[in-house]
Amino acid sequence: MTQPGPEVLETLAGEPVPGAQPEKSKDPAGKKGIEGKSPLQIAVGRLVRDKIAMVCLATVIIFVLLAIFAGVICNYFGVSTESVLPSRYLDPLSGGLPKEGPPLHGYDPEHPFGIAPATADDNLAYWLYGARTSLSIAAMSTVLSMIIGIAIGLIAGYVGGMLDKFISFVTDLFMTIPFLLAALSVSPILAERFADNPHTYATVKYWALVIILTMFGWMGVARLIRGEVLSLREREFVQAARVLGMPMSRILSRELLPNLVAPIVVSASLMMPANVAAEAGLAYLGIGVDGASWGQTILKATNYFQTYPLYLWQPLIGVVLLVLALNLLGDAIRDALDPKTRR
Amino acid sequence: MRRSKPLAALAGIALLSLAACGGGSGSNGNGSNGKGDTFQEAASGFAKNPDAKGPAPEIPGATTGGTLTVYVPGEPGPTTLDPTEGWSVLGNSLQQAYTNRSLTQYLMDPKTGEMSLVPDLATDLGRPNKDFTEWTFTLRDGVKWENGQPVTAEELAFGIERSLDSDTFPSGPGTEYSKTYFKDGDTYAGPYSSKGAEYDGITVNGNDITIKMSKPFADMDWWGTFMAMGPAPLGDASKPPAYGKKPLSTGPYKIESFRSGEELDLVKNDQWDPATDPARHQYADRIVIKFNQDQNKVDQIMLSGNTDSQTAIVHNGINSANYQKMLDTLGDRLVKQSAQCTSFMAPDYTKITDIKVRKALAWAIPYEDIWLATGEIPNVTRIPANSVMPPGMAGKPDYFADGEQFTFSPEKAKALLEEAGVTLPYKLTNVFYEPDPLAKAGQKALETGLKEAGFELTGIPVEVSPYDIWLNPDDKTNKKLNVRGVNWCSDWPSGLTMIPPLLKTGAAYNTSMFSEPAIDAEMENIPTLPLEDQPAAWGALDEKIGTEYFPLIPTAFRNEMMSYGEKVGGFKGDPSFGAPYYKALFVMQ
Repeated sequence: MTQPGPEVLETLAGEPVPGAQPEKSKDPAGKKGIEGKSPLQIAVGRLVRDKIAMVCLATVIIFVLLAIFAGVICNYFGVSTESVLPSRYLDPLSGGLPKEGPPLHGYDPEHPFGIAPATADDNLAYWLYGARTSLSIAAMSTVLSMIIGIAIGLIAGYVGGMLDKFISFVTDLFMTIPFLLAALSVSPILAERFADNPHTYATVKYWALVIILTMFGWMGVARLIRGEVLSLREREFVQAARVLGMPMSRILSRELLPNLVAPIVVSASLMMPANVAAEAGLAYLGIGVDGASWGQTILKATNYFQTYPLYLWQPLIGVVLLVLALNLLGDAIRDALDPKTRR
Repeated sequence: MRRSKPLAALAGIALLSLAACGGGSGSNGNGSNGKGDTFQEAASGFAKNPDAKGPAPEIPGATTGGTLTVYVPGEPGPTTLDPTEGWSVLGNSLQQAYTNRSLTQYLMDPKTGEMSLVPDLATDLGRPNKDFTEWTFTLRDGVKWENGQPVTAEELAFGIERSLDSDTFPSGPGTEYSKTYFKDGDTYAGPYSSKGAEYDGITVNGNDITIKMSKPFADMDWWGTFMAMGPAPLGDASKPPAYGKKPLSTGPYKIESFRSGEELDLVKNDQWDPATDPARHQYADRIVIKFNQDQNKVDQIMLSGNTDSQTAIVHNGINSANYQKMLDTLGDRLVKQSAQCTSFMAPDYTKITDIKVRKALAWAIPYEDIWLATGEIPNVTRIPANSVMPPGMAGKPDYFADGEQFTFSPEKAKALLEEAGVTLPYKLTNVFYEPDPLAKAGQKALETGLKEAGFELTGIPVEVSPYDIWLNPDDKTNKKLNVRGVNWCSDWPSGLTMIPPLLKTGAAYNTSMFSEPAIDAEMENIPTLPLEDQPAAWGALDEKIGTEYFPLIPTAFRNEMMSYGEKVGGFKGDPSFGAPYYKALFVMQ
């Protein structure tokens, strides 16, 4: 990916944007000629005009709000994730399906999404808190992998030499470790280590998942950033800064980093959905947080795919919708930031 | 389903969760001991018929030919087919019916369905001396290996001697019985581990084999039903572990191929002579056993009724979500069979010393909720339990430790706790098998129920079988626990295989750490009583322990669900195993 220099900027500022021509022609500002816009402003402008991106953004925002206000929404509907005694809500004769609500009976206002078979957990509460788990773990691990990846990539690319070789080796080494295998083997080790104290165990499991996702997420970013820095550091403005005697930390943070915003935003926006999917996948395999998680609900629900399909569809739609929205949004951001890949 | 070693109660993964759970139901407060319509009571007590002769009684309507498929959901099956190592419901029920003969065996009467103990390789059920310290069996003539060689008394003696080798066969049943009762069982390490050493506990005279005991062992004829009490070729031909891949067959079928955890293929053994065998048949041409099947997939296959499923049976197991559908579609072809097993919760006798607290705990367990959460069908696959001895065992007592059947009753639990004068909430610590979501769900239900009843349960998640924790006295997690569990199935219908292994001081599976010298003395005494008095004596002891000490909370008796295809005939449940009665199965032509 190349950085848009000033000469590119000028041409881009006045270019006709697909889907925006009618507006442009009406807009008197369009006739004013060249307007000074930063690359990011241009990208945001393109993004705002992308309908799919806006729909996806709205979807993601809705999910984020649902996750943040999960508790409030649960209180409003009068449901909670607290465990109950299943025999009070389930009918043993129907194979442990709920006495009220879906799938055998009509809508149950006390449990808008129905209740789970076997455990009688409230589906709505578990869905909302599942969204929270999913988004918070994905966001946290994305941010951490970005920080680690950017720092390592910057240093490796800028310093070069032996340090670069070493860091590249470590990066490659991490890439060779099979992710699933490592995740599956780390989980029991942690359990063994911390299981004796059940009070901290849930927290340990939560952070273990974040760490696992981070540990296997930073390499791509580091490589990308290193490549960018390698080309940037030979550019005039960096050399000028060096000649002026700027310290390395300042060159990295003030000269290089701002020029890397585009690739960082793109890779972050694409890593997020990957992490949401990974969290659900790992939870399905049994490496998840304790309590509400879409992946775990899917695992339990697969046995009921025929008798109680709604139970399976709820978390499935949650995962698919969120991952799809995040992915399309990420694609749109990349398109907006990189004019060469524009369709 | 999931009983990988239920005979030894070394239950499979999901079962482990239930060991600390299960039992009791709110809908059975009528004091009928939970014998609901849906619970199938095993015929009480097995008859002995030393005069049974081959060939076995014909199964009405039986036809020969065809291929029978056995689906085994969720269980990897035996890793070795060595008869000396076999101590699981799955392996033993299949191998003993088809490939490996032993001293004695079970026969189900085709008309009445009654089970009886009949001779197998021996001509009778053994001739004990007066105090049961010496047993003589006579090998019948005309029994051949699959290669046409006759089975000799020396080979039979050698096979029995192998069961004393607990280092070579660490999980074989001989570790429990041969080692305990056979002469010098504690010192003689077996033919492989103490090479060259002479063992004089088993002597051969012509076709007669005499086994000497170190203490009275009246149940040798029952112990003889295990394939470990069968012949093995002398010398290197039966050297473990290679022999376990393809042991020589003496039964109606021989092993064509065996892939552990996947498939076992059996074909007809033409050297087997029906005239020598009072119980087995050779109807199907071929038997294919498929291990480790997905439960849901198997349920769908059976529901579909397609050509494959018509000649197939399910060893045991059903997905509770499919229960109603299976019941509607298969009708009588969905079979319930009681297993001679009891699940217990075991409060630590040394830590929870007040019997009132133990009884309060029994009232505080949400039995039915745990069954639902762990995928069982309340009152169908799990029913409330009252005693250590399971239904179908001669002498099983009908007492109730606290006046009536324990059900989930927080009020009674709280009242008892108050009476005991302990501070509330009473703290409990247990372990649960975390990788299994069902076990986790069961733990959650247990926690919720106990909380309502004044207990506070802390569950420590473990990644290994809870038995690995419970049975290891040095384990640091184990030391923290004050509640454990155990799941025990009888090896034959006698209190001897239930009470001492669970409640004797220092017994391996005594997870409640129960120890009362008076009770130990009675356990030593009962095997020396006249044979006919023993069942009642075990029952009385069971009641005495339950009412006076109450160290184990019986949480459930178990039923297994099995199903078979339209073209399978002769299908009955086998009460000795809690598995299909494989000997009578045939494919309709």
